[in-house]
Amino acid sequence: MEPFFVRYRNLLVLLALLVAQVVGLAMQVHRTRLGPAGVDSTDGRSVLLLRYWANSLVTPPERAIHSSKLGVSSVWQNYFDLRHVREQNENLQKTVDRLRLEQAALLEDARQGHRLQALLNFQQKYIFKTVVAQAIGSSGTDQSRVFYLDKGKDAGLDRDMAVITADGIVGKVRDVFPHSAQVLMISDQTSGAGVILESTRIRGILRGNVSGQPQMVDVLADQRIQPGEKILTAGGDEIFPRGLPVGTVEKVMRDPDRDSFIQILVKPSAHLDQLDEVLVITSMQPRFPPEQQQDMATSVQLKGAEAEAEAQQKKTSEGMAEKLPGLIDPNVAPDQQLLHDTSNPNPVAHPPQSLHPDRFTPGAAGTPSAHQSSEDVQSKPPPVRQKAPVDGIDHSGKLITSGKTSGSGKPSGSGATNKKTPGDTPARRNP
Amino acid sequence: MPVLTADSRRDYEIRHYPVLVYALVPLCALVLQAWLPRVLGRFAWFDLPMVIAVYFGLGRRNPIQGSLIGGALGLFEDALTHHAIGINGIAKTIAGYLAASVGIRVDVENFTVRVLVTFLLSLLGSGVYAFIYRFLLGMGAETNWLTELYKAIGNAAIAMVLFPMLDVTMIRD
Repeated sequence: MEPFFVRYRNLLVLLALLVAQVVGLAMQVHRTRLGPAGVDSTDGRSVLLLRYWANSLVTPPERAIHSSKLGVSSVWQNYFDLRHVREQNENLQKTVDRLRLEQAALLEDARQGHRLQALLNFQQKYIFKTVVAQAIGSSGTDQSRVFYLDKGKDAGLDRDMAVITADGIVGKVRDVFPHSAQVLMISDQTSGAGVILESTRIRGILRGNVSGQPQMVDVLADQRIQPGEKILTAGGDEIFPRGLPVGTVEKVMRDPDRDSFIQILVKPSAHLDQLDEVLVITSMQPRFPPEQQQDMATSVQLKGAEAEAEAQQKKTSEGMAEKLPGLIDPNVAPDQQLLHDTSNPNPVAHPPQSLHPDRFTPGAAGTPSAHQSSEDVQSKPPPVRQKAPVDGIDHSGKLITSGKTSGSGKPSGSGATNKKTPGDTPARRNP
Repeated sequence: MPVLTADSRRDYEIRHYPVLVYALVPLCALVLQAWLPRVLGRFAWFDLPMVIAVYFGLGRRNPIQGSLIGGALGLFEDALTHHAIGINGIAKTIAGYLAASVGIRVDVENFTVRVLVTFLLSLLGSGVYAFIYRFLLGMGAETNWLTELYKAIGNAAIAMVLFPMLDVTMIRD
């Protein structure tokens, strides 16, 4: 009887291979908190190494095929053309062959020249820093819509850089190798980009569907959304700059999973099936043309002169403020402040001193009552004063208020106003 | 009179190829698989590594070798995608194993059998891929089965042309 391991050797090897690969898969997939769709797409170091090896093996032949321009379609066409010509004239065949090949090469060169010219024009007008790269290969399966660029880390490319054409966005850089890079297209089911409808300003997320067509999801049903409306990048995903063309609305349909939501099929602006040259946005810092930079420099200079004038004005006003007296000087003692200065230009008004004080003089002993004083004033002439205050300025030259008398004929000095009438006190004591 | 047992029959019918064929043919398949979709766009309905895995599985008639060749091709193909490495590997390991197992039991010289086996194993490979991707890994992506059917037909069509060409490289006693 054959031993167990010999009898089932094939099956055991198959199981071992499958188990090893399943364990490898489990080690690669890191789930995040976002649920089924939330899978961390970042590769581990060893996985990245495997991808690098595979890429290093495949990229050189692809590059060689691309550089030699031996496209399958052109070879196919030329083959049939040559067969047809050979039947007509064997001698002419070689000439026609050569001419046709040259023509095809020139035509291809001319087409490429046109494409590059258009791309260069776009790049010159575009304000962000970009690198032109050539699409050289793909993943080979429509379940992974990625393609490879002929430039990598050596050209300044990095992960999560936006890849665009003059027509619209294409995708983002997913992995970077020394001389090549992998780009995840917007038509892949795992891609995602923040987009906005141009006229209705409704936002959503762009990702590919099962057929490889981009669609806008997470959009609430809205009747204003009509086919033909333009879709732009929203700029919130920190990958694509705001306002880049994405495509147009092709069809609006209900989301089968959520009632109040719709899905918008998008016709991409960029020709995702026929990509040749693309631009990779390597820096999101604006890059302005020389004329615009000059204008900005002039503007900064003008703004500097204005700021300088403002500073000068401020300095002058501060100097003037220092020269003018203030109510409180921090360098002077509190009792010597201007607030306590006796030379205040607005002193409390006092009646002038009489030259010959008598019993009617305010403050003198035996001042008569109001009715007595009024009789005496009428019988006697008013006392002559040495100098009457003129225009509110006394003889010492200080500004004073004029000494007005009350309606009872008494001067409005402090002595007169403080005097109480006899009847006041009892009335207050016995209400 | 020597008795032709299953093992001796298998050994007798095992095909041998130059080492260069083992190295270059899979590499060419991988390079073309990566490059042709750029030219043909969405009409690239074929899977050359699968065709090669089936061819060597049928020719070598050794399930272990079929599994290893299929697994290696699948892993390489996975490395060119952005998915986890191993999805295609498992699918093509199973396909290679089954191709070799079928090769022991049926007459693989029959042209129709080879094309039919290629078609069926391509469909099986797509099914295994979808199963791993959706259920084993729990990804939300869907599969367009019409495209997978076209791909299986494309693989069978390529097998019709490619298998006789590769048979030429076989070492004959």
